[in-house]
Amino acid sequence: MQAQLQAVLAKAAVELPAVHLRPELEAAKARYVGPNGEFTALMKQMGAVPKEERPAAGRLINEAKGRLQALLDEALARIAAAELSAQLGPAIDPTLPAPDPGPGTRHPLTLVREEMCRILRKVGFSVADGPEVESEYYCFDALNTPADHPARDEKDTFYLPADARFGNVSKKDPAERYLLRTHTSSVQIRTMLRGEPPIRIVSPGRVYRRDTTDATHSANFHQLECLYVDRNVTVRDLKALLDHIFAALLGKDTRTRFRPHYFGYTEPSFEVDLAATHLPRVNKPWIEIGGCGMVDPSVFAAVGYDPERWTGYAFGMGLERLAMLLYGIDDIRYFYQNDARFLRQFA
Amino acid sequence: MKVSLNWLRDYVPLTASPEEIARAITFLGFEVEGIHSTAAPRLEHVVVGEILTRARHPNADKLSICTVDVGPAGGIKTIVCGASNCDAGHRVLVALPGAVLPGNFAIKASKIRGQASEGMMCSADELGLTGDHAGLLVLADRPALGLPIQEALPGGDTILDLEITPNRPDCQCHLGIARELAAWFRLPLTYPQERFRGDVSAAPQRPDLLAGVEVRSPEDCPYYSAHVVFGIKVGPSPTWLQDRLRAVGLRPINNVVDATNYVMLETGQPLHAFDAHRLEGRRIVVRPAAEGERLVTLDGKERTLDARTLVIADAARAVVVAGVMGGQDSGVTADTTDLVLECAVFRRQAIRAASRRLGLSTDSSYRYERGVDPHGAPEAAWRAIDLILEIAGGVVAGPAFTIGGDVPWSREIVVTHDYITERLGFDVPAPEMRAAFEALELRVTREEETAQPARGPAWTVAIPSWRDDLDRPIDLVEEVLRLHGTERIPAATVVAPGLAAEDDPIVRFNRQATDYLVGHDFHECVNYTLRPAREVTEWALPAELPRLALANPFVDDQTHLRSSLIGGLLESLRLNQARGVPVARLAETGRVFLEREGQILECIAAAFVLAESAGERSWLRRESADFFTVRHHVAALASLAGLRIGDLLPAAAPGWQAGHAAQAADPRRGWWVSAGLVDLALARSLGIDGRVQAGFVALLPELLPSRAGVRRFQDFSLFPAALRDLALIVPEATPAGEVAARVERAARQAAAASFTFEGASVFDVYRGPGLPDGHKSLAFNLVFRGKDRTLTDDEVNAAFQRLQVEALAGTSWQIRR
Repeated sequence: MQAQLQAVLAKAAVELPAVHLRPELEAAKARYVGPNGEFTALMKQMGAVPKEERPAAGRLINEAKGRLQALLDEALARIAAAELSAQLGPAIDPTLPAPDPGPGTRHPLTLVREEMCRILRKVGFSVADGPEVESEYYCFDALNTPADHPARDEKDTFYLPADARFGNVSKKDPAERYLLRTHTSSVQIRTMLRGEPPIRIVSPGRVYRRDTTDATHSANFHQLECLYVDRNVTVRDLKALLDHIFAALLGKDTRTRFRPHYFGYTEPSFEVDLAATHLPRVNKPWIEIGGCGMVDPSVFAAVGYDPERWTGYAFGMGLERLAMLLYGIDDIRYFYQNDARFLRQFA
Repeated sequence: MKVSLNWLRDYVPLTASPEEIARAITFLGFEVEGIHSTAAPRLEHVVVGEILTRARHPNADKLSICTVDVGPAGGIKTIVCGASNCDAGHRVLVALPGAVLPGNFAIKASKIRGQASEGMMCSADELGLTGDHAGLLVLADRPALGLPIQEALPGGDTILDLEITPNRPDCQCHLGIARELAAWFRLPLTYPQERFRGDVSAAPQRPDLLAGVEVRSPEDCPYYSAHVVFGIKVGPSPTWLQDRLRAVGLRPINNVVDATNYVMLETGQPLHAFDAHRLEGRRIVVRPAAEGERLVTLDGKERTLDARTLVIADAARAVVVAGVMGGQDSGVTADTTDLVLECAVFRRQAIRAASRRLGLSTDSSYRYERGVDPHGAPEAAWRAIDLILEIAGGVVAGPAFTIGGDVPWSREIVVTHDYITERLGFDVPAPEMRAAFEALELRVTREEETAQPARGPAWTVAIPSWRDDLDRPIDLVEEVLRLHGTERIPAATVVAPGLAAEDDPIVRFNRQATDYLVGHDFHECVNYTLRPAREVTEWALPAELPRLALANPFVDDQTHLRSSLIGGLLESLRLNQARGVPVARLAETGRVFLEREGQILECIAAAFVLAESAGERSWLRRESADFFTVRHHVAALASLAGLRIGDLLPAAAPGWQAGHAAQAADPRRGWWVSAGLVDLALARSLGIDGRVQAGFVALLPELLPSRAGVRRFQDFSLFPAALRDLALIVPEATPAGEVAARVERAARQAAAASFTFEGASVFDVYRGPGLPDGHKSLAFNLVFRGKDRTLTDDEVNAAFQRLQVEALAGTSWQIRR
């Protein structure tokens, strides 16, 4: 019997390593350990083995069975591995470039806007939005702009026809005309009319001026304005905010300065300069970056806030201008051409 | 506005350098747009010389050979000169060898056309001075020979170009700026002294020169005065006056006109002088122009006026466009002997409107439209008469004609030290505040202690008539801060609340949409909102077009509000292709304007284009984007706004390719979605290479949820799913979504309460042999599952039978077996 077992095992040790396909393996397996297999036949002979020899014979059979199983397992593992590697093509060349476009890029105006909003959110400002088509009241009247102010002139501001009807832009007075907002300050008015102080908002958005397009002017551009209304807001607080914004954006050594100026909706009013020597392509010690001031009491009166009780500040600047300073871009038109070579530079 | 430092020094003894003065003006609140000096430059080896002889150059027609005496140190030099005025006897400036003129032009001894030349005689231009460069600068006052240039030329001036903010009309003149600088440097201010002081009590009357003045539009002309001066002699102004005017960019005309201009630049009050004999009927009438009335203004142009325009007229006709420009045939000429001097105040708005209508802006209209001080007008007239008497002679007649101007001025503001400190947020001592007011001629008429808890005094401040901009206590805060210096605002840290409010839902949507698109390899673009009519017709329905037009567009290609973002993205795509920049995916978020029932709605939107460039080559070819790629993206974008877009139906706007694009919309709620292939012919006509797939989502901002709704967990079964396939033969025109919806409804009903139906997905679409004509087969994979057990084949089969009956009921559909 031992010789028979040895013979079967020897045969299997030759045959099984030569099997390459799963059906062949199944067939081979059947030939050895199937119901009519050779090995099964030997096991059946156990019944004929005298009782005293059975333990030894059983040991022999078990040993042989283990070896046979190992051969089968080995063959199965080899075939399974071959099947998997058959699913692969030839090895890749990892040095070839990916053919897909991308990665996607955020527009530099988005990057600058989001960075400013992030800085402002950390000091309690939330981001507000409002319509780009506005009525004269929200864009001018409520902001203390006199009826004959040049900014209202058809030469400088885009108007819609007198019979234009806007379903979701409210007017104060039915006789008012619709226009394309000239600043995002109208968002401040709408925000103040909607709720009570304290208010701390930043309103970035698109604004329109009837200007010739050139390297520094564009028919539409973007602004970002901050409004803070609370008790006991001071000029010093306003200066602190601007110092904070620009230090966070450009580094802690960045300095700002105020120059007195005039805006109808703030009193006192200032223009803000930035110490700019570390910015690209700037060769002046100070560069104008925006306008600001303490909210004029007449604006509070227009939105129904008690000017005796509430104080506030407002600050606004052009986003294109900021992006141009930050990145050293010298022509505003690049922002609106969307040349991919431009867009890819900032992401 | 240009101001001369020399002129300012007439009123305030400024000793600071021009740079310090410019800085002071900046921090007083006026932008200094330019500084330029007219002083002689400090140039070495440039000295005074006298031309002794002049001879023709033997080899050049236009050149002369001169001998020039440059003083004891230099002796006599021979110099070749190309100027036409190098006549013997002139004293001129000579650049000797070694001199370096502006522009780094080094002078050397040389030969010019074979003749030795030991230097160069200079024109003003060559010395870096403003002036005539046609010839040599001839020194009329004959300074000593050999004198260096900076000693030979009179002391220069510095001209500052200022931008005056509209709230400060009082600073539209030298006196106003001088007043501000006097306050800044704490120097005394000296007003010009009039000898005349308006006293005409002893003056002769001349009704033969001016008989009457009538103001018919007192609202537009609250003050009008006319003085008669007779026996004048018109001629050129004295040099000092001409120099002053030239320094700030005005051309001298004659002594009378120059005097009125001088006083305007000094006081801000425009004045006008008539030749008394050219006023018909010896009358002046201030009235609206007759409709269509014509007037030739001083610039030689004939102006046609309308009744909204105020004019100064004589008995017969308009002679001046009030406050804007005089007429050609009533002004002072070389022959004028008797004049009428107008000094008036007009309503700002009236002058602005007239100036706009005529497209004519003058030094006078600029000042009137920003406002002149009505209470300063008489002084200005007297100042002008003084000047005229001094430089043109003549006698003042009396009495003057004065109409209006009788509203007295009085304004006081009460402000406390406490109020100002609270607004500033830092301490400025009370005496400094008071000193600031007084330095600005804001007289403190009363100072008293305030009651506790306020600290410091309360001041009653008298506001002068020229400071109409100061009306409330807050206005005085600015005055204190200006003089204290905005550069001295102390630093502080930002005090922020612990809780910030939510960002606006629009902001959140735009941010998420951009994140999604950028995450899918799109380049975010920014395009103009205003688009050409041509483009708007491609993406709007025809009825919308006129409603999107601006009333006053500026340029032809920006006349309409955009109704889609795709037009802009196609333009960006074209630009990149034209520049040879490969780019496939562009996207944008922004506002668009859509029509609903005759109204325009301002909507938020996101859009993208996916270009398949015909010419693009790559080592590995990807399957190109198709309708279902872009449909996937628009559905994802819409879901960011909480919208489920459902089935898309064929698109209607002309920009889409028929049969290859689709749309869905719920105008009542306010959302619109479209996706698919851009019309091939359109893309080609735009100059775009290859096919472009695009998608667009727009919605009313009001639709956005202000915050995410509360979500609840829904339990799901862990038992195995039972799957069944169902193929239905339906007419070609039946939308797949309709079939799917019906199958799902039937499946849900069939599963009923005993187990759940989890969904049906299309896994095959078949058209062709074996189907009736005009039909298609849609095959669905259905998923069933038990909540609490493994389903048996029998119960699933029973449900599957029921759902087939239910799905087909009332339709012409068939099961495909």
